[in-house]
Amino acid sequence: MMFPILSSLVALPIAGAILLLFVRDDEHNEPLVRNIALVVSLLVFAQTLLLWSRFNAGSAEFQFVERHAWIPAFGISYLVGVDGISLLLLVLTGFLTPLALLSSWESVHKKTKAFCIFVLLLESAMMGVFVSLDLFLFYIFWDAMLIPMYFLIGIWGYDRRVYAAVKFMLYTMAGSVLMLLAILALAYLHNAATGAYSFDLLRLYDLRIPPPMQFWCFLAFALAFAIKVPLFPFHTWLPDAHVEAPTAGSVILAGVLLKMGTYGLVRFAFPLFPLAASYFAPYLALLAVIGIMYGALVAMVQPDMKKLVAYSSVSHLGFVVLGIAAMNTQGVQGAVYQMLNHGVSTGGLFLIVGMLSDRRHTRLISEYGGLKRVVPHLVAVFLIVTLSSIGLPGLNGFVGELLILLGAFRWSPRAAAFAASGVILSATYMLWMFQRVNYGPVNNDKNKTMRDLSAREWAILVPIVAMIALMGVLPNMFLRPIGPSVERMLNQVRQGAGVQIQAIKNSEFGSRNSD
Amino acid sequence: MFSSFLAIVPMCCVTATAIAAMIAEAFREPGERMPIGPLGVIGLVGAGVASAALWNSHATSFGVVVADNFGLFVTWILIVIGLLSLAISAPTVKREGLPQGEYYALMLFAVAGMMLMATATDLLVIFLALEVLSLAVYVLTGIRRDKPTATEAAFKYFLLGGFSSAFFLYGIAFTYGLTASTRLDRIGRLVAAQSGAATPMQLLAVGLLLVGFAFKISAVPFQMWTPDAYEGAPPAVTGFMSTGVKAAAFAAFARVFLAAFEPLRGDWSGIIWVIAASTMIVGAVVGVVQSNVKRMLAYSSIAHAGYLLVALVSANDVGKGAILFYLLAYAVSNLGAFGVIALLDTALWPNDQLRDYAGLWNEHPALAGLMTVFLLSLGGFPPMAGFIAKWYVFSAAVKAGYYWLAIIGVLTSVVSVFFYLRIVVMMYMTPAESPARFPAVPKLAGAALVVSAILVFYLGILPTRVLDWAAASISTIF
Repeated sequence: MMFPILSSLVALPIAGAILLLFVRDDEHNEPLVRNIALVVSLLVFAQTLLLWSRFNAGSAEFQFVERHAWIPAFGISYLVGVDGISLLLLVLTGFLTPLALLSSWESVHKKTKAFCIFVLLLESAMMGVFVSLDLFLFYIFWDAMLIPMYFLIGIWGYDRRVYAAVKFMLYTMAGSVLMLLAILALAYLHNAATGAYSFDLLRLYDLRIPPPMQFWCFLAFALAFAIKVPLFPFHTWLPDAHVEAPTAGSVILAGVLLKMGTYGLVRFAFPLFPLAASYFAPYLALLAVIGIMYGALVAMVQPDMKKLVAYSSVSHLGFVVLGIAAMNTQGVQGAVYQMLNHGVSTGGLFLIVGMLSDRRHTRLISEYGGLKRVVPHLVAVFLIVTLSSIGLPGLNGFVGELLILLGAFRWSPRAAAFAASGVILSATYMLWMFQRVNYGPVNNDKNKTMRDLSAREWAILVPIVAMIALMGVLPNMFLRPIGPSVERMLNQVRQGAGVQIQAIKNSEFGSRNSD
Repeated sequence: MFSSFLAIVPMCCVTATAIAAMIAEAFREPGERMPIGPLGVIGLVGAGVASAALWNSHATSFGVVVADNFGLFVTWILIVIGLLSLAISAPTVKREGLPQGEYYALMLFAVAGMMLMATATDLLVIFLALEVLSLAVYVLTGIRRDKPTATEAAFKYFLLGGFSSAFFLYGIAFTYGLTASTRLDRIGRLVAAQSGAATPMQLLAVGLLLVGFAFKISAVPFQMWTPDAYEGAPPAVTGFMSTGVKAAAFAAFARVFLAAFEPLRGDWSGIIWVIAASTMIVGAVVGVVQSNVKRMLAYSSIAHAGYLLVALVSANDVGKGAILFYLLAYAVSNLGAFGVIALLDTALWPNDQLRDYAGLWNEHPALAGLMTVFLLSLGGFPPMAGFIAKWYVFSAAVKAGYYWLAIIGVLTSVVSVFFYLRIVVMMYMTPAESPARFPAVPKLAGAALVVSAILVFYLGILPTRVLDWAAASISTIF
């Protein structure tokens, strides 16, 4: 039997958390606790790299599939597998978790053990979401993930942490419970059609779902994912959660959790309900474009750096949803690629903002100024990450945004035009923020004594910068495994919808556009 | 000859130890320590073994009690409830100086009554069992005689409970008038034979029985007594009655409505639909504004009665299995939560206000962790038992086509998460006002809570075996 690598991705962080439970929680054990957590998360990362190296990039099918009966009476099984779409998201999760842990080294001193346990449990649940191919299993991880995140925000966050944590939990849960009902309805439909319950995604893909039910189920799924993404107008939990979360929480929240929404659209909502997806895609795109503009405009006026980055996420994730809604090769490939980019660059921005706020205990842009003279190394890295977030050619953000805009343009030039203006806006707010923080004279005396990057902070930022460059220069390395799976998923949607995707043009966006 | 006693062996074991407990108390020298609690454990374990032996046998006693798998499954749930309740009661009994013999004997009599109620197939025996368990629980509610709140709670509970018993008895009388029998199987046959539109008399009988059951399971609009009774009783007793009474009442409810009055389903399902929806809504919404943890959990238990009613009204194979699984999952989660409250209870101050939980994590990290597990399970989070239970209930509703009921159910469970989280916020995210107000945790009660937590996770992660048992239990009847 093959080594169950996907299960071990889920199990290893839990094992680490259980190990930590047995470490005495006192002052001088703190380094031990941190090191155990770090080593476990690094092992998980190594495992994801191993997975990538053994992954057959030419195949579009699910690989490393493990299937065990779990609740046979209802056709629920423990079914996990990975394809090109989820593979790199697993790697991203493995990549960001050690960095998030490292970032807490100096900022978290309260209940370090519990902090590390929650981060590891969160990692396990995130891995679970990306590998599950059984809807029931997926839902379990999807919902279970809220618990550690809730505690991370609520205990180690900033001033309004409790409010943000509760809001995060209730918002996300309210979105996902209706998805649970839709999942149940699917299982019963499968029972009616074949005589057996099934939550197996691969079987449900083949299920012929009558149109009215497709619409309701798609709406239930889309609501859950739209809240997670978050798509305008469901984004209001995000600024609170991002701003109040500790740095590690923000990094994981922005880097991985938001991707679950877009991943859910690609993996579940679109292929399961192709007809409804084709019908609703223009509306999703409309919301995405509004989100791009709105997020950018609101980001521009934020006095708080963390809030600015949070709103920029709304804008960037709008691009991803637009790419998905376009439903063509470039659009979806770009969307998946942009998910990774956003994870790396926004994760990087949150890390840097966290470092600044560790030093000065403020995140207000107006408190800074002229940092370039004081901490040149930090500012240099800050610049690279900022440019990557804007989408400068040669860095990672460019590739994803270009692909998405290409795909969107083929589908609806007007949507692409609006989205492209979002790119300009993002340059405006990011560079303006960068300028105010880093250039000009050092007006604030407190900034004069700031220290530059420590060895540990270098260790956090070097991998980020390396990834930014690598993904910008060698995009094919990442796009190659994504390609076949995206094609397969698109074929599924096209066949399922029974119409050429181009025909969607005739509906909302396209028709208004062509006249 | 002896075979006709088989079905009542489990409750006889419990009754015997209850009597033994009374006698032991009577002959106890003042100040002599006597393990009366462990005596109850022997009875309950004996009942458990007896029920295991009776599994699949479908033994009948005197034609009015049947040990079918459905009844035995509920009996096991009641045994789990009894064991956990005994364990979490011990510290309360000792601290409050309650009369050990009476306390444990009453609890065991109540369990015996619950077991009888779950296995009875005759309306009069159900009534008898209902009275046995109710009287014991009334006294337990007011067992702290020197506390005004306890007396008030017991009096309210007794008065309203008396009303509900009267309704129930009226229902039995009307049923007898219609069918000339109190046996459920005969009633079922006769009602089925009188096909066609339901007569007013039939509706009256069903309605009166429904009122009686709705009181016991605290469904809206008969839930008024619940918060007061739950608040006034010692927390260990509240945990016991919020789970045990509900389990027994639901077992009988399911038997009467899904077996005897099944032919009239078209007539009662609409009413129960409305009751289920309003019970879920009232429980969740009113729970949000409570500042006393026991009252909060009282509203939570009202909401849970609503979810169980969803399973009942769905009335398909999934729903019937869901009732059993839900009762078990709810029992371990809720008893665990009340166990934590019981352990925080002190002689000076009950520590049952929401703000009393501030900073619990710093002082008793393990207790706070356990409480979180129980609350999240009640809220229906995976990977805890509550999630599988809710999923099972909503499956039944979706299968039966009650989409709106399912939607109301999931949305109210989000609302209820809000108040469960209020307790979590207090424990983890609010600093304590004054340090060291919490008593030390006794080993035995602590162990019982750990066992509950393990059960919560077991039912949440590996539910297959219990789900299969639940499905097997309902396949023999209905």
